[in-house]
Amino acid sequence: MEKNLMKHLMLNCNEATLLMAKKEEGKLSLKARIQLAMHLSMCSLCRKFEKQSHLIGEESKHVHAEEKLPGDLKEKIKRILEEQQS
Amino acid sequence: MDNKTIEKKVIKADPQKWLEFYGDLLYQYTLPRVNDKEVAEDLVQETFLSALKGVHNYKGDSSEKNWLFAILKNKIIDYYRKKASEQKVMSRPNPQGSEDDWFNDEGDWGENRKPKNWHTSDNPTERKEIQKIINICKDHLKTLQQHVFILKYLEELDSNEICKVLNISASNYWVLIHRARLQMRDCVEKFWLKS
Repeated sequence: MEKNLMKHLMLNCNEATLLMAKKEEGKLSLKARIQLAMHLSMCSLCRKFEKQSHLIGEESKHVHAEEKLPGDLKEKIKRILEEQQS
Repeated sequence: MDNKTIEKKVIKADPQKWLEFYGDLLYQYTLPRVNDKEVAEDLVQETFLSALKGVHNYKGDSSEKNWLFAILKNKIIDYYRKKASEQKVMSRPNPQGSEDDWFNDEGDWGENRKPKNWHTSDNPTERKEIQKIINICKDHLKTLQQHVFILKYLEELDSNEICKVLNISASNYWVLIHRARLQMRDCVEKFWLKS
């Protein structure tokens, strides 16, 4: 009985990592938040996952290409803007 | 000179400068977010045209740069909305499919899937490197996972907005973003530990 109850309350890593995505948007119930916190307190792999996923999320905002706007397109846009303006 | 003339003067003088100042920036922002040079070029061009047409709407309450970026971001979202409506049912695989076995039957990390230590620090060179890796890895995501990931983490929309844009259900969204996050972390790790 006690074992079943524990099993019911405990998350596995699959469930925990899903809840982390929901947590980012504050979409977790109190129960889920407690379950996730419990899981994380015991699972170093999921702690790593959370930390690294957070880093990826933060750095994703700053992703940009190195290439510049192609010169011929620049010229084309310049012409169009001039025409439109006159 | 009253306010109106000043405004007029500024606006009249600016569009050519937009291209000089922000052309490359807008393009460099767009390219990783649409993964297609031609599309990126079109969107940047359309952004300038829309900006010019709407120049009288520009109230100067945000910087010109932010204003142009706001126009561009709308165009990027429109691009994904259009893409989603074109794809229809055809290329919408069941996201529940367990093609990637991240976890074992008990739901614990699979043997070769366990997160490793990255030993990252916060210095700018490392951050740039990570950003480059993210850019590569997100190109490797499956179509819909990729769209969800880009809209969530590069474009910073929330799940409700993304569901509307891509016309997917919330439960579908969470499966996709979960998969995308697993895939991205794994891919970034492989590149990072190799470099």
